Amino acid sequence: MRKLCRMARSIKNRRIQMAPGIGGFKPHGMQHRKGPDVFIGFEEYEALKLCDYEMLTQAEAAQMMQISRPTFTRIYEKVRQKIARAFVEGSAIYFTGGHVKMAGWYHCSRCQITFTPEMEAAPVCPFCSSSLVQKFS
Amino acid sequence: MFVAISAVENHIASAVDPHFGRCAWFCLLDSIQGTWEFIENPFQHDPGHAGCDAADFLADKGVFMVIAGRFGSMVVERFRELGIQMVIPEPGTYIQRIMQQLNQNER
Repeated sequence: MRKLCRMARSIKNRRIQMAPGIGGFKPHGMQHRKGPDVFIGFEEYEALKLCDYEMLTQAEAAQMMQISRPTFTRIYEKVRQKIARAFVEGSAIYFTGGHVKMAGWYHCSRCQITFTPEMEAAPVCPFCSSSLVQKFS
Repeated sequence: MFVAISAVENHIASAVDPHFGRCAWFCLLDSIQGTWEFIENPFQHDPGHAGCDAADFLADKGVFMVIAGRFGSMVVERFRELGIQMVIPEPGTYIQRIMQQLNQNER
C-alpha cells in the first residue's frame, strides 16, 4: 500500500513589534542539577508580552500579530508552559528567532534612538537626518 | 507643531519616562519657537487604554513626534494611524539631552 506523504502547511510569519531586549534568563540559587535549556521564540515572547504584560485580550493580541485566534492561543499556551517548566526544573531560558516579521522600527546608532520613520521607503533619523539607519531587529 | 516627550518630572533635568501612556508629565516642545511647557498627563491614572487616549489628546494639540521609553502595542497602532512618529531613546536619557539633539538638527 502506497503511503501518502503530505507536507504540513508552511507557517505564516507572525508580526511582532520588537524582539526582546535581553537574551533570556538564568536561574540562581540552585540546589539541584538544572533542567535542560528552554528556548522561547520571538513570537512566543510577543504573545506573552501582549497578554500578560500589556493585558490585551487574546482576540486583540491575535489581531496585533496578524494571526488567527486559535493560532494565537496555541502559541500563548505553549510559552506559558515553557516558562512554568523552566521555573520548576531550574532551566535557563534563551530567546531565539522564530517565524516572525518585524513591524517597521529603525535604529540610528549615532543618536542612539529607535524610531518609526515618516516614510518606510526612505527611512531617515528624525534627530540627525542621516539615512544610515538600520532596520531594528 | 509640537514634539511631545513623556517625562517623569516636570523639569528638563527629568528623565524621559520609560512608558508613554502612564507617564506623569508631557513636555510639549514647540519645534518652531523652541519654547516648551510641561503638562500633566490627564490619563495617567485611567484603568484602561490610557495610551490611546493620550495619543488622541496629543494629536489634537498638533503633535507630530512623540518620545518615550516604550509604547504599548495598541498605542503603536494608533500613532501609525495618526501619522505621528515615535522615538525611543536609550534608557535614562534626560529631557534636556533630547532637546539638544533636536536643536542640532535645526541648524
